[in-house]
Amino acid sequence: MAILDELMRLPGAMAAFEFRGSGELLEHRIAYPDRINPATLDLLAHMCSANMSIAAMQARGWEQVTAMSGFYPVQEFTLIGFDWSVVVSALRREQHKRVGQSNLPPFTGVVLANESADYEAAFALLEHPEPAA
Amino acid sequence: MSMIRRLLALDGVNVVCHFRDDGSFVEGYGLMSHDDMVRLAHFAHDYRRMIQGNADQLAMFTGMRGWTPPRGWIIHGATQVVCGVGNLVCVVDRTGVPLNDILLELREVSHW
Repeated sequence: MAILDELMRLPGAMAAFEFRGSGELLEHRIAYPDRINPATLDLLAHMCSANMSIAAMQARGWEQVTAMSGFYPVQEFTLIGFDWSVVVSALRREQHKRVGQSNLPPFTGVVLANESADYEAAFALLEHPEPAA
Repeated sequence: MSMIRRLLALDGVNVVCHFRDDGSFVEGYGLMSHDDMVRLAHFAHDYRRMIQGNADQLAMFTGMRGWTPPRGWIIHGATQVVCGVGNLVCVVDRTGVPLNDILLELREVSHW
């Protein structure tokens, strides 16, 4: 997966991964196997999947109660931990939804070391448009 | 002048709110009604607690240090971004904003 290899070139990238909407880990790349392993990525993917769903509920509720717009659909979720961050994108899924496809691509994510994390660069890569097949 | 108000000087920042550890609203500035700022503060407080719980469980189940305590969170919507650091939350325009700078500033101001 080209996107995973590109994500691994980000400053501080520790791992890049793809996972289903239900959270199961699919493809992954790991830069430091002594620090992070596929089992950890799998749990992280489940956590991110759950957070994307909860954030979607909150965005919908927020727009209903405030009449503000621009919060839904949720396209990316970022958790900034104490030393590590995870950035997850649903943008490719949203692109497929917009053209009416029911078979959605996976979520894409990257784990970054906070010390050298460049969030803008991560978002720019994850938001790079990809035509829906 | 309130320290958090200076966050509004950053490109793209439309709203910034400060809340107490129990989620109650302290102060807020920007393009949002007072009632909605109070809602935003409650939401950010709840979300912070949820993120804290997630990070704690992830650390417990994996044994991987460095996730907890979490420093913050970011949710990107279609045109709006919501960022939370400490007891601060801000709403930012999505397009072309210096998010790295905004996060740094949020982190600095959250320590005041």
